Amino acid sequence: MTGLPQTAIEETAAPLEAPREAPQGWEPRILAIACHYCAFAAADLAGVMRLSYSPNVMIIRLPCTGKLDHSYVLRAFERGVDGLFVAG
Amino acid sequence: MNDSQHSIKRGSVLIAGGGIGGMQAALDLADSGFKVHMIQRESSIGGTMAMLDKTFPTGDCSMCMISPKMVEVGRHPNIELHTLADVEAVSGEPGDFTVTVRQQPRFVIPERCTGCGACEKKCPKLVVNTFEQGLSKRKAIYTILPQAVPHTRVIDKEHCIYLTKGKCKACSKFCETDAINYEDTEKVYDLQVGAIILSPGLDRYNPNIRGELGFGRWPNVVTSIQFERILSASGPFMGEVKRPSDERHPRKVAWIQCVGSRDPRNANPWCSSVCCMYATKQAVIAKEHDGSIEPTIFYMEMRAFGKDFDKYVDRAKQQYGVVYRRAMVSDIKEEAGTGNLLLRYAAEDGALVDEVFDLVVLSIGFQPHQDALAFAGTFGIDTNVHRFAKTDTLAPVETSRAGVYVTGTFQGPKDIPETVAQGSAVAGRAMALLGEARGTEIEAPQLPPETDITGQEARVGVFVCHCGINIAQTVDVKQVAEDTRPLPDVVYSGDLMYACAPDGQERIKEVIREKGLNRVIVASCTPRTHAPLFQDTIRDAGLNKYLFELADIREQCSWCHMGQKEVATHKASEIVKMSVAKARKLDPVETDSVSVVPGAMVIGGGIAGMTAALALGDQGFDVHIVEKEDRLGGLAAGVHRTLDGADVQAFLAAKMDQVAAHDKIRVHTGAEVDGTGGYVGNFNTTLTNGDAFDHGVIVVATGGVEYEPREYAYGESDRVITQRDLERQIAGGLDPAAQHFLMIQCVGSREEPHNYCSRICCQDAIKNAIAVKEASPAAQVTILYRDIRTYGLREDYYQRARELGVLFVRFEADRKPEVTAAGGRLQVEAYDYVLNREVRFNPDWVVLSTGLRPHPLTEKIGRQYKLTVNPDGYFLEAHVKLRPVDFPSEGIYVAGLAHAPKNLDETLSQSLAAAGRAGVVLSHDRLSVSGIISKHNRELCMSCLACVRLCPFGSPFIDEDGKVSHNEVICTGCGICAGICPAKAFQVNSFRDDQILAMIDAATEME
Repeated sequence: MTGLPQTAIEETAAPLEAPREAPQGWEPRILAIACHYCAFAAADLAGVMRLSYSPNVMIIRLPCTGKLDHSYVLRAFERGVDGLFVAG
Repeated sequence: MNDSQHSIKRGSVLIAGGGIGGMQAALDLADSGFKVHMIQRESSIGGTMAMLDKTFPTGDCSMCMISPKMVEVGRHPNIELHTLADVEAVSGEPGDFTVTVRQQPRFVIPERCTGCGACEKKCPKLVVNTFEQGLSKRKAIYTILPQAVPHTRVIDKEHCIYLTKGKCKACSKFCETDAINYEDTEKVYDLQVGAIILSPGLDRYNPNIRGELGFGRWPNVVTSIQFERILSASGPFMGEVKRPSDERHPRKVAWIQCVGSRDPRNANPWCSSVCCMYATKQAVIAKEHDGSIEPTIFYMEMRAFGKDFDKYVDRAKQQYGVVYRRAMVSDIKEEAGTGNLLLRYAAEDGALVDEVFDLVVLSIGFQPHQDALAFAGTFGIDTNVHRFAKTDTLAPVETSRAGVYVTGTFQGPKDIPETVAQGSAVAGRAMALLGEARGTEIEAPQLPPETDITGQEARVGVFVCHCGINIAQTVDVKQVAEDTRPLPDVVYSGDLMYACAPDGQERIKEVIREKGLNRVIVASCTPRTHAPLFQDTIRDAGLNKYLFELADIREQCSWCHMGQKEVATHKASEIVKMSVAKARKLDPVETDSVSVVPGAMVIGGGIAGMTAALALGDQGFDVHIVEKEDRLGGLAAGVHRTLDGADVQAFLAAKMDQVAAHDKIRVHTGAEVDGTGGYVGNFNTTLTNGDAFDHGVIVVATGGVEYEPREYAYGESDRVITQRDLERQIAGGLDPAAQHFLMIQCVGSREEPHNYCSRICCQDAIKNAIAVKEASPAAQVTILYRDIRTYGLREDYYQRARELGVLFVRFEADRKPEVTAAGGRLQVEAYDYVLNREVRFNPDWVVLSTGLRPHPLTEKIGRQYKLTVNPDGYFLEAHVKLRPVDFPSEGIYVAGLAHAPKNLDETLSQSLAAAGRAGVVLSHDRLSVSGIISKHNRELCMSCLACVRLCPFGSPFIDEDGKVSHNEVICTGCGICAGICPAKAFQVNSFRDDQILAMIDAATEME
């Protein structure tokens, strides 16, 4: 074991919020982070082929998903997105 | 060696054929300052590779790889595309050819067509879609594929209702830019070029000829190329595996190999080289698409001879449950009423079996185009007996006419990476021929000085494009412009009918000047194809091109939310809002350039190294060859003849003489690299003998070594020898008399821990077997083999060996032959799978076909230059399909056995390719550094080395002061360093953290 007190997390963490039912008709807000060379290109191809998907997906282009920074993930959730899709 | 002493040298090259081989040659030439005319018979470039769904052995998406290349070719300022065109006549000499081109009418004006596709939608005429192999229909005005380059539609004059019957004109009525021209006519014109490259590609065998297989009769018998389209996400079934008759998901799928190949009676005698692997790939991908599929591959011989191919087949068997059945299917019948197919074949024990499948795929082979002979005649080149371009094993890309080179499948059946390598090889040959004319036929654009925007507040201008009705019918474009106007720093927001059309671009420049814009956003289509265009537009207006941002509201909005005007308009406004948030924070990027030392270092002085060195020397660059041994020559010193009889020793001697006599080449024998510093364009190397020099590029040609056997009683009897020993004896005038030579294949290959095919041993055995039988018909030759892998046109020699009476006996890896050498008498026991019994031989000689191993130097060189190797110890190229001779690190190239086992002609092609690729870098006085790179802030850096460890390109390094510095010249801007850096000392230009966070904030703003 690491030598850290084993009970620290349970004692100090706030109780978890119970999951709630999604209200009727609710649509999640999804942010997608896509690699320029593959996933972003795939999103373009979806358009070229006139494939339809839900409009509440916004795409941010990166030169490579290797550039993904943890701060993007945290900021997105902090600002209320319901899901983050990293594709590359 | 210049092909001619002719005085005129033109700085342009004609490339006949716009597939992947021609595209690679075009890009290499254009990037190094030559004007390229690409002639393509179809309305779009792309060729066969554009039809494929995935590629083996990595399963990479074919279109994702080729489409960026097509776009690059399409918009390269030095490449001119001549589509729907054929060459009619060629006259002149190397350096100065006149080529007559006949171009069919397109009936659509490229300068006006925006590629919106409204015409295609309204066209009432349906035509069988040949790109989709007849599995779907297209219109009479169309592009052959959605990613076509050029994107201009074409009217099929055979089927257009107006052009055939004189009424309709629907396309013209609905074209918003008046781009349709029914009066368009055929054009015939001349081009003057210095060299010609032939890359016409291939045709496929027509399986109708093999009536017993039922193609064309039973709907669920499809060809392999049809199956590629079935698998393709942009194909007729959108990537769902369905069978044509009832669109039901098939469960049992059979592949039948060698349809149209290895069959001199009904089809072509050669092996098409790729079908074993593509069938394996199709079986694996089909299984990935639909786990319930049960694939079976019926084959004669599994020819998995390429790098990592055997492992791929093993994975197909073990992980995907693909069944490989060594059997010839004699007959296919449809079961009445079900559409299922009854296959009859002989099982291994000889019994006839009938098995039912839901779908059958015929692995059809390659053949030259039907008009190959006429094509060859037009260019004045010779063909071989099989109608491929005639080339010599020792000069694999030279045709019979000087100044005319050949690449790809017209030279012989081959896979994509070999085609790409030959593309770079022919580019290198053309560069050597035309060297001094480089840069004479291209124009450098004249640009106004850049406006200094330091200290200015952001002044953002937004142009929302209608794209005719492409965006406007789904998105309320004027509303988007209005929504955008109140955003911070936006000083202009308006709409344009076609932003990319000349009038649209003029309008953008006008507004930049009128409103004093210093950031520009166009909301239209994808940045992947159109950002460079608009970047040039704003640069023309004096703005730094990195002050531009493209908001993709067509591909990623209007085209996928059709009929949902309100939500699509809202989404488009949101996309533009995100772009504005980023654009406000954009800064100009100064692109730097570095000087280039016009010289190369070639590590390894074997055939590969010498060939690359001579090719670079002929291009006019200084070359240093570094060879560890005391003499040049490498492994080829032990080879006397090629399979087709060419004299390797004479060739080697000539190469060595040429190297010695070349005034640009310096040879350092008995030396190794002690250390290399610097980066692409500016390397400096010190050798172990103290020599030191500067150079711009590195070619790694460290070669391989032969496996020294420990099995099959080798060393116990002097009558157990290797193929190389036998070859030496044959060259020394061996009289085989009535002796019996028994050869054993795959010695030290295709088994753990060396589970790969050494590729050369089958041809070595057959070469020596033919030599023995020709010297003495009374001699007996037996070859114990696992699969005979005489791929491509090498199959002729397999046939020849059989005709000469060479006996072939197959064995399996788990039941290998046993050799004993007791009492001076050799005895070999093996299990014969045809007779189904043990057989015993008492040969006079046992000849072992030993495999290849990487050179022991590979590991050290790999460490020195941060180059990775595959599990078998061979260098790993930057991309197995499209960058076969590049390393991920700029300016370093690989050739020959260092990359993987291969035959001499392939080594030569690859070495010429490495020289071609290297020549592209060396041809520049200065290399410009890309703008999208990672910037390193030493103030913030803690030198934790996370970046140094993770960067695939080796651009962050430990500097002389012991801290991290960053070499921007080799940075590709991927931003892995920025992602991992705990101190945020790295930021990628135009993708800085503050810019991305601003986009996230804009995307999540509450309304």
